[in-house]
Amino acid sequence: MDHIPSDKSEDNPALGRLLVWFINPKNSKTIVGVLIAICILLFLADFAYHKHGHFAVEEYKGFYGFYGFVMFTALILAAKSLRFFIQRPEDYYGDSAIDHEDYPPEQLEKMEHGDV
Amino acid sequence: MAMFDILPTAFIFFAGAIIVALLPSGRIRSAISLLIPILAGWQVYNLPVGVFAQIELFGQTLDMMRVDKLSRVFALIFCLAAFLGNLYAWHVRDTVQQLAALFYAGSALGAVFAGDLVTLFFYWEGTAIASVFLIWARGTEASYQTGLRYLIIQITSGVILLAGTALIWRETGSIAFEQMTLGSIGTWLIFLSFGMKCAFPFLHNWLQDSYPAATVTGTVILSAFTTKLAVYALARGFAGTEILIYIGAIMTLFPIFFAEIENDLRRVLAYSLNNQLGFMVVGIGIGTEMALNGTASHAFAHILYKALLFMSVGAVLFRTGTSKASELGGLCRTMPRTAIFCLIGAASISAFPLFSGFVTKSLIIDASAEKHYTIIWAILVFASAGVLSHSGIKIPYFTFFGHDSGLRPKEAPINMQLAMGFTAFLCIFIGVYPEPLYALLPYEVEFHPYTMGHVVGQLQLLCFALLAFAFLMKTGIHPPEVRAINLDTDWIYRKFLPNVTAILYKGFTSVWDDAANLVKTGFAEILNLLHKVYGPEAGISSVRPTGAMALWIAVLLAFSLIISYT
Repeated sequence: MDHIPSDKSEDNPALGRLLVWFINPKNSKTIVGVLIAICILLFLADFAYHKHGHFAVEEYKGFYGFYGFVMFTALILAAKSLRFFIQRPEDYYGDSAIDHEDYPPEQLEKMEHGDV
Repeated sequence: MAMFDILPTAFIFFAGAIIVALLPSGRIRSAISLLIPILAGWQVYNLPVGVFAQIELFGQTLDMMRVDKLSRVFALIFCLAAFLGNLYAWHVRDTVQQLAALFYAGSALGAVFAGDLVTLFFYWEGTAIASVFLIWARGTEASYQTGLRYLIIQITSGVILLAGTALIWRETGSIAFEQMTLGSIGTWLIFLSFGMKCAFPFLHNWLQDSYPAATVTGTVILSAFTTKLAVYALARGFAGTEILIYIGAIMTLFPIFFAEIENDLRRVLAYSLNNQLGFMVVGIGIGTEMALNGTASHAFAHILYKALLFMSVGAVLFRTGTSKASELGGLCRTMPRTAIFCLIGAASISAFPLFSGFVTKSLIIDASAEKHYTIIWAILVFASAGVLSHSGIKIPYFTFFGHDSGLRPKEAPINMQLAMGFTAFLCIFIGVYPEPLYALLPYEVEFHPYTMGHVVGQLQLLCFALLAFAFLMKTGIHPPEVRAINLDTDWIYRKFLPNVTAILYKGFTSVWDDAANLVKTGFAEILNLLHKVYGPEAGISSVRPTGAMALWIAVLLAFSLIISYT
């Protein structure tokens, strides 16, 4: 493609112009802000009803939120360090491995937006 | 088909495949491929409970159609998956793939309804043989080799099943496929066979190796049947087998690390599939009515959202030529519908309230909590956050959002959009209104997913994990997508064993050469020696003048004469 049309371009489908709001860097603060607000509300929601879980730990206010945040972060860090041990170049298994070949183009319909 | 009281559902697919083969390639073929699963699904839905289509063979009774609530719910979702898969593949004009899809789905249905282990074995191998053509249809050397690896493992699973069946038959005199207790070698072999197809830890890697190698549409179809057939077989044969709880927990756990760093999104989904199977296996291991309901319903919901995710990534591959996260990004601009379908699949697998995963997975997690498996419960909740990370965030974010890859692909073809739209609708429908699915489950359901505690707990888990993702992205801690592969157990048979064989080969040949040299030179030396002694030039065979001999004899005679006459 010679030039990439701007995200506001009328060429893009209307739904696409809506979704692009989420990737606009200008809006990232709003998105994170809304997310934080939702998290706070969810934490406060724990005070609004009586929890009766199967385990004592579930009784703690905000247990699931804490567990989710900590374990998610731990997962990413662990996975990142796993790369150190098991990451290899794409041609590691030689030429007859799917990671090192293009998908046969004759089986695809590669088209750009606006093509008919 | 007068010999059967009920036409085995598998035969509907096989007959349909033969019709498809006879028709000219084109729309009518695709239409028949859609009609067959509808017909079969209608038959399954109306089947009475009981055992039908029995045939006598070598003094044994083969039950082709054992219909109960457990087999029926799996059969129904298989018909639905075949329909959605064939709709997604409407544009495909490749006879091999069309026939493979029908034979594959038919075999899976045959296996689900099999009331005895011999029938199960035939269909078990049927799924293996039919499905490999969906990989080979890609038509490259790499897909051929990957397909061979896949086929060897699948066929081996069947051979082990047959061996186990033979042992059990010798032991009990029966080939009925019923609840088993691990103990004899026969039952262990059958357990192992099911475990291979179910992608147990260390037996799992055929899944991640082969599914990304299949065609765009083939992967969608593959994702539905083989592993869920294994889940069904385990639920039928080994419900309440405690070891499955631990196997399942490990299955939920380790794939999430691999999925996180994998670049090929279709392989990410294969790891994610493996993780979802883990939840089902835990449910089977717990074995209570609630847990088994959880397994059956989760298999049902999972087939749909997993297919939806494979469809959306497949549509991207179809339009851009790649499914690698490092090459994608920002596609929501021109593929917004596919993006939204993908998000619905992502929300469903992450078990957001109002989406299908929420109403099915919580059955299993609650069942583990009810039995007070504390560590298992903690692992399952952690794994749920892990699912969010690779399937809920990574797939949609790095494909449709994230940085701009500069790609502006055309929206997916209309048949793909229809298939995705319908699947997405079902994902939401099950999430919002789970009662029809609950009514299909093997046991009475007394479970209310939408309690305050469930909803708030699950939303907290997911939203705080999302917050962690935002934090890790902002700080640059989140690992970037890079063009690379990661080692898994396939390394053993793709790299290690070939290398060891090569080294051994080299070693053996050099030893052989030395030995041969030794023999050759040693032999030559002996020959030389013999030649020296007995050869024409050797002293022993040299020609001496006969005169000398006569002279010496004369001397001897003269000497003896002198002695005699003196």
